[in-house]
Amino acid sequence: MSDEEKDEMVGYRQQPGKISFSRPGSGGKNSFSEPRDEKMIPESQGGMKKQPWGNHRHDNLITGRVVGKPTSLVDSNWKVTGRAKYGDDIRLPNELIGKIVRSPYHYARILSIDLSDALNLPGVVSIATGDDAKNKFGVLPVTKDEHAMAVDRVRHIGDLIACVAAEDEATALEAVRLINIEYEILDSIHDMKDGLKDSEVPIHDRGEYHIGEANIQKRVFQEFGHIKSMKKNAVASHKKNWFFNGVNHAATEPHAVVADWDPSGRLTLYTPQQVPHYVHRALADVLEIPMHQINVHRTFVGGGFGGKSDPFPHEMCASILARKSGRPVRITFDREEVYWINRGRHPSHIEMNLHADEEGRLCGIETDALIDGGAFASFGHVTTYYNGVLHTAPYEIGAFHYTGARVWTNKPASGAMRGHGAVNSRCAVEVGIDDISEQLQVDPISFRLANLLPPHSATITGFRVTSIGMRECLERVMKESGWKDKFRKMPLGHGIGIGCGFFISGSGLPIHWDPNKFPHATVHLKIDMDGGVTVHTGAADIGQGSDTVVAQSVAEVLGLPLDMIRIKSRETDTSPVDLGSYSSRVTFMNANAAISAAMEIRNDLLDATSEITKAPIEKLVIGDRRIFRKDDPAIGVSYLEALHKAQEDRGALVASGAYRTPPMGRAHKGAAAGLAPAYSFSAYVAEVKVDVETGQTKVEKVWAAHDCGKALNPLAVKGQIIGSCHMGMGQVLSEEMRYGRTGNLMNTDLLDYKIPSVHEMPHVTPIIVESNDPEGPFGAKEAGEGPLLPILPAVCNAVYDAIGVRMNELPITPDRLYKNIERKCRDLKIDDPADLPSPRLKHSELQDILEKRAGEHSIRDKERRLSSEIEPYHNGALFGMDPTIPPDEVDESWEVTVIPSEEYLENPRLAGSAWVHTERRKREGLK
Amino acid sequence: MESPCGEDVHMSVIRLPMLPGPEKIPWKAKVNGKEISKHIESNAILLDVLRDQVGTLGVKRGCDMGTCGCCSVLVNGKPKLSCLVLAQEVESKEITTVEGLSDGHHLHPIQEMFSEYGGSQCGFCTPGFLVVISSLLEENPTPNELEIKNAIEGNLCRCTGYQQIVDSVKAASELLVSGNKIENTTTPKSNPNPGFEN
Repeated sequence: MSDEEKDEMVGYRQQPGKISFSRPGSGGKNSFSEPRDEKMIPESQGGMKKQPWGNHRHDNLITGRVVGKPTSLVDSNWKVTGRAKYGDDIRLPNELIGKIVRSPYHYARILSIDLSDALNLPGVVSIATGDDAKNKFGVLPVTKDEHAMAVDRVRHIGDLIACVAAEDEATALEAVRLINIEYEILDSIHDMKDGLKDSEVPIHDRGEYHIGEANIQKRVFQEFGHIKSMKKNAVASHKKNWFFNGVNHAATEPHAVVADWDPSGRLTLYTPQQVPHYVHRALADVLEIPMHQINVHRTFVGGGFGGKSDPFPHEMCASILARKSGRPVRITFDREEVYWINRGRHPSHIEMNLHADEEGRLCGIETDALIDGGAFASFGHVTTYYNGVLHTAPYEIGAFHYTGARVWTNKPASGAMRGHGAVNSRCAVEVGIDDISEQLQVDPISFRLANLLPPHSATITGFRVTSIGMRECLERVMKESGWKDKFRKMPLGHGIGIGCGFFISGSGLPIHWDPNKFPHATVHLKIDMDGGVTVHTGAADIGQGSDTVVAQSVAEVLGLPLDMIRIKSRETDTSPVDLGSYSSRVTFMNANAAISAAMEIRNDLLDATSEITKAPIEKLVIGDRRIFRKDDPAIGVSYLEALHKAQEDRGALVASGAYRTPPMGRAHKGAAAGLAPAYSFSAYVAEVKVDVETGQTKVEKVWAAHDCGKALNPLAVKGQIIGSCHMGMGQVLSEEMRYGRTGNLMNTDLLDYKIPSVHEMPHVTPIIVESNDPEGPFGAKEAGEGPLLPILPAVCNAVYDAIGVRMNELPITPDRLYKNIERKCRDLKIDDPADLPSPRLKHSELQDILEKRAGEHSIRDKERRLSSEIEPYHNGALFGMDPTIPPDEVDESWEVTVIPSEEYLENPRLAGSAWVHTERRKREGLK
Repeated sequence: MESPCGEDVHMSVIRLPMLPGPEKIPWKAKVNGKEISKHIESNAILLDVLRDQVGTLGVKRGCDMGTCGCCSVLVNGKPKLSCLVLAQEVESKEITTVEGLSDGHHLHPIQEMFSEYGGSQCGFCTPGFLVVISSLLEENPTPNELEIKNAIEGNLCRCTGYQQIVDSVKAASELLVSGNKIENTTTPKSNPNPGFEN
């Protein structure tokens, strides 16, 4: 820019008569609007807030306003007054009602669709079929296998074939009935084991990447370290074949969508979405229009839990119908349709093998997970990895072997659900550790405490773990539950059990990975002369309180009360791109982005204050709506004064902040799956009562400790912990998607799909552990998904403690448990289940060794978390390897293998047998 | 898709009689203190009439079969599942939905406490819980934990695990007993320039 241009730009500075501030530096009559709350200011900044986990890079931004205080959700008044608008509450003038024609067959080729009767029905305005949208979409760019409506084939009962828009619901339903479709029924696949075999008409054809002629959607093989030699050292081994039934999110709000093409030809899609950005992309692909022609408006979301995170075909349908008819179209699901769209947790066969050596170390984990993906890929590519890689921590392990496969079957698609991919295999690991501890005659909590990775370490798979509060979680639940007086000491029918969890806090690599390194999250701030702060974020508030946490972060940095922050997060037109509410990434990434945006504004305010008061910036602090000298609080200005000064010649202050994960991880195939900038840890103790005569299990009490780094909003964190317990308890005791003999889903309603009611819910004592993550916003990590993991194994282990029976299928319904009780009675030749022996524990010599090691490790961990210069620590040190060098660099034969050897393929495990097929492009004679 | 013409259309019209369409009847009720008079279909469900005709969209549809409790409303002060009630059944009765709980901009104690104690996360089940609890507190301002649980046993919540809902009820009960009035939501918010007159 030339000087001349500069003069031109700032020419209005020279306006005559410009008045300076009347009372510069006055700060008003009160020196403080509210005194700084020293209890909330960290010790490193001269406050009174203890920092047992050390300082944090955000310490100097703490103004003591809202972060760390229990805070009502900023949108809660809309919710409690009924004013919150969810998907079906969007009522546009002149709307049409859309209904979907769904397949009555599991698997069939569509021969013809006759719309004539339906089109002739008065009141029917438009009908669309697969011909109207031929482009494929899917949440992951590598596995796009869905159509808006069936093209050629339907792949499960409830698969979409056509959709109708009519003047009212009755007409639309009648039109659906009038559409005549001819099918050729194909052989359907329901047992996921059949999905591993070659089939005549695979459910999808992946072209040259297709694996054999089978229905294998994804297969994973991973081997780290010397599993064979490690197994030789084992003195205790656990092996169990699990079956986990599928579960559904069962969010109370059924999916609903409204599509409206405005007069300028742009589409606004109103939808309760967790991930507006992916719908945005998919819509552009399917409708063949540029993304900027679409505005995705996220309504209030009536519960997501992963069930509203895919781009959905009904969203495409509404858009297509609205385009054809020239009028807004609203499609609302009934409860049954929610089960047809599903995306719930995968039904899984998991074989878990754990090995422990004579020193009580976990020398090997071998996992084999076959998961049932249903008819579409959804997030399955990732789920297949997560079933393995997410149990390589928090324990230090000798060697790790994982085989996983996901198959297509003719069922509603499985997808991401709270605790994505980690829940089932975590349950298997934790139950395995309970069993191993019993074999070694040691306390399972002592066993865990003696095998934890330290802070700032790398897992066997190369994940960078920063803060770890696992030890504190275990110690807290042990103490508060009275573990030592109860474990293996209670009478028959009463039991207590422990389970742990480990989960990602955001995904290191975004799904739509961009070589230009787009940030994961961006937040824009705008402050005009009124002083209120408008925050634009794309973070989707789905009830977890993301709007609140972003508002809190901004309020904290700027020293403002929460009511001065306004969150605009609904529309893609105004919000910066955000990848959405999944992988527990929102607090971590969006709050970080919000903090960096707020820091920009903060600097402007400090500059302005410094200019007014002539105090150097480093002498200034921000308090409640006031900026003043640290050494002389009487000298300062009010927030509005500083703001107006900063706005001189600029007008509204705007700032943008972004967050991107640092480069991390190893380079092997699949190394990115499970990589996260931070990880959360949790430990639960559950106390149960089991009726040995009926097999009925009642969870009485739960102590739930979760390391969320720092509870920005303790009220919401506790809500997440208790809510996770509720959802996990459903999966472990009562919830399952039941498929009948012919593959029909039998419980597509909330009467037969049993969510725990208030009476089933135990009292949960939420315990927040704050490990102060160095990279998290103010130290925070996730709290939304991780807390679900430990409740399943805790209940399973408690049932064992109560009656000595180990289950291998979830949920533990009374009939299933009773069968196991009967079997146990037969084995022990006992007539009356009331005579079953309760498991008891007599400590072996190993117990002392473990306790001693745990004590040493506890000291090591405390040193590591406070030390400023931390030596690298790679998994394997416990087994005598050099912790400072990655194990594959120390020992050439210690290798990361991602392709099975021929030797393995001679006798593969269940999911491992997916590798017996050859990918088409690698077959001889084929290109 | 092209629509067929000629004979085919004629045939299809003959083969498929038009929807008979239920008879329309006049319907009156007092919803949230306001007299409402509509023409409804004789088989209309109360939930549909409230959402589609009266416009009280705070009444939520979760399952259509009386399992989730999201559609709860008060009929003459008693909680009912509006998805299982024919509109005709409540002819001339008093209906209260979540929109009728607050007194202008003064929230009902249970609304205020739901905000404060985390009784509401995604908020979709909230209206159902609120009307049921308001009826409980009307009858029994100091319910014990079991009474609270019994009152809300027909409502499903997928987010909170109920614990913070029960906490909210206890806090609302205390607030009711204390007789303290909740502040009007329209009172002035924080002054950006403290110390100076507004």
